[in-house]
Amino acid sequence: MSTGTITPYRSSQQPGRDDFGHLLLSEWTKFRSVRGWLIAMIGAAVLTTLAVVALAGIASGKGNPGADPTNVTGPGGEAVTDNFYFVHQSLDGNGSITARVSSLTSSVLPGQVPVGVTPPGSQPWAKAGVIIKASTKPGSAYAAVMATPGHGVRMQWNYTNDTAGLPGAVSAASPRWLRLTRSGDTITGYDSADGSHWTEIGTATLGGLPSTVQAGLFVASPQYISGAQSFAGNNWVPLNTQAAAVFDRVGLSGGQPGATWKAGYVGGLSVVDGPQGPGGQGCPQPTPGSVCVGKHSEPAGGLSRSGGAFTVSDYGGDIAPYVAITDPLGTVLKGTVIGLIAVIALGALYITAEYRRGLIRTTLVATPRRGRVLAAKAIVIGAVTFVAALAGAAVGVPIAERKLNSGGWVASVYPVWSLTSAHGVQIVVGTAGLLAVAAILALSAGSVLRRSAGAIAAVVVLLIVPLILSVILPQGPADLLLRLTPAAAFAVQQGTPQYSQVMHTCMPYNGCFPEAPWTGFAVSCAWAAAALGLAIYLLRRRDA
Amino acid sequence: MSPLLEAVHAEWTKLRTVPSTAWLLLTLVVLTAGVGTLATAVVKCPATCSEDTTKLSLTGILLGQAAVAVLAVLVMSGEYSSGMIRITLTAVPRRLTSLAAKAIVLTGVVLVAGAVSTAGSLVAGRYILPGNGFTGAYGSETLSLAAGPTLRAASGSVLYLALIALFSLGLATALRDSGASIAVMLGLLYIVPLLTDLGTLDSRWQHRLQEWGPTTAGLAIQATRNLKTLPIGPWPGLGVLALWTAGALLVGALVLRLRDA
Repeated sequence: MSTGTITPYRSSQQPGRDDFGHLLLSEWTKFRSVRGWLIAMIGAAVLTTLAVVALAGIASGKGNPGADPTNVTGPGGEAVTDNFYFVHQSLDGNGSITARVSSLTSSVLPGQVPVGVTPPGSQPWAKAGVIIKASTKPGSAYAAVMATPGHGVRMQWNYTNDTAGLPGAVSAASPRWLRLTRSGDTITGYDSADGSHWTEIGTATLGGLPSTVQAGLFVASPQYISGAQSFAGNNWVPLNTQAAAVFDRVGLSGGQPGATWKAGYVGGLSVVDGPQGPGGQGCPQPTPGSVCVGKHSEPAGGLSRSGGAFTVSDYGGDIAPYVAITDPLGTVLKGTVIGLIAVIALGALYITAEYRRGLIRTTLVATPRRGRVLAAKAIVIGAVTFVAALAGAAVGVPIAERKLNSGGWVASVYPVWSLTSAHGVQIVVGTAGLLAVAAILALSAGSVLRRSAGAIAAVVVLLIVPLILSVILPQGPADLLLRLTPAAAFAVQQGTPQYSQVMHTCMPYNGCFPEAPWTGFAVSCAWAAAALGLAIYLLRRRDA
Repeated sequence: MSPLLEAVHAEWTKLRTVPSTAWLLLTLVVLTAGVGTLATAVVKCPATCSEDTTKLSLTGILLGQAAVAVLAVLVMSGEYSSGMIRITLTAVPRRLTSLAAKAIVLTGVVLVAGAVSTAGSLVAGRYILPGNGFTGAYGSETLSLAAGPTLRAASGSVLYLALIALFSLGLATALRDSGASIAVMLGLLYIVPLLTDLGTLDSRWQHRLQEWGPTTAGLAIQATRNLKTLPIGPWPGLGVLALWTAGALLVGALVLRLRDA
């Protein structure tokens, strides 16, 4: 036996470049050359758009109390709540207001606490502080620095903006000094624990602020929202509250000489706490700015002065964005599940068809590094789905929003989000991302199971059934489902924004998701990544 | 043996020798009874005493039906993907006989597995619910088939699964491709409850969709309380699902009869 005498055959061809770009190209060719798949992908996008628009057509707001809350609107045109007790003077041009809050008490009124509900000790978002406001007209521009029972010192302006200052609650032993200074359209908020060391909290620019504004002290006491989703449906319990605060060391610079403090209620809120009925059985018909506690009516806020101290109280007001309970846009966007099921089918077929036809063996001979095949497939199916869904959503969402507006859902609460605004991006790009992640999840399931029917059913059950169950189950397990399953990504389709400074009970029944939109999306991405990892591991270990 | 009986025997042999059948039936039982058990474990009385405990115990059917749909789709489209359909039709040239045989075998298998799933769910509810406070004191009787409405809900759920199986079989016969069939089937099953559970659609449309959606109408059979508030009564609801099933089987039969395999 002699070795080395036979030269093994070598192809004269150059070896193919081991290039991921070529792999992507070949996987893209496989996708686009199956005509049914291309048609199905475009059809999925078109169907989604049509479904969303059609649903918006039948999502009438008529008869739904959430559709037209008849709220006042703020400087940005958004619906706001603007009811509070205001002790104020005119401020000409630049100047500042300073006050020390030495006490803030808050409690729930007893009248409407239902049996079985334990009233909370205080409303964590009750507000007492200094404010500079364009006028006493509800909805006008403002900036305020305030103490709260549960969230420390805050600076808030023009309803939707909120910045944290010093933490902790107010007491006589640990008072809070608050200050606002105006310079042109710019208002800067400061807080201090001792009145000599001041910290800037934030700066607000209020466009078009008139030269004469109202500056002073305010107290607002929002409703406490109790309750949770139960089987019987929506169990939403708003409880009326009252708050009182003691201010001293009040200083106003830039006020008119000789002016005195005026006090009054901003906004026409009336609070009824307790049974209302004829014949003196309950509360009389409430008048704006009044509150009925027990059986007698009294003003909804008040001021008493002793020496340099101002005691200001308020029942049931708030200065905040109006947060809708219902989410018609979110409901209408559930129409995307038609396209979602189609892309799940395509994602699974993209790999199971190779097993069925035996093409997988050719694929793996051409690219022996198997993990890269699945990675390339995931990129191709993810990108194609993303582009198709993005186009569908960018067309469908604005049309659906306008249809909802004309169907009775007022634009101040349910606006048409600009496609470049943060919320517009969340809905449109988020929806496209949701479909792309679903396609990758389905590809992975198809690779693991190698059968299209099983893979499609598994992914549909994982993605869509949690949404259905979350409406039937009680709050606790419903929240868990929407946090942990891939359905968490549907949070990106929430149409009504949530504000952390407004108390709200998030119920899946109302289309609310327990996780923030992009957090929920990340949960689904984690599922897809884990599934793809498992698929790559199994593809490398098993025979094809 | 008559040709139909022979065909039934052949279909039974095919179904029981495919490994996916056992897995899917196991999935049906585990999903249905498991989800039903979890759903009954998380409710507490007196917080939610008015809950329809029978319907709650049978929540798992909502997931279990997906396994039934896959099984039924594979019975037909599995033959198209492997080419087996040509052998089947050579052996049983009367195509509708072959479809009827498949339907009979599938119905039998799903009725048995569905009965096991339903029984498992109700047994779990019977033992778990009293521990969570659902006792006679609050008007919640212990789950028992002796009660008329519970018997209707239980037997109706089994029938529901059988109708879903036949519906999927009809659809798969018409579409032939397993991926397309299961996607369309699951879309029909899940989209209507998803849309109508959230209360922002126009109430007339909501009512209409719930009345005609195969899942929402068919599962009305599970209700044992507040029947007056249902969009459609229990038996008429199951009747709506039967109409969908009959329609799908009819289209499937026509396609099978007229088109080349």
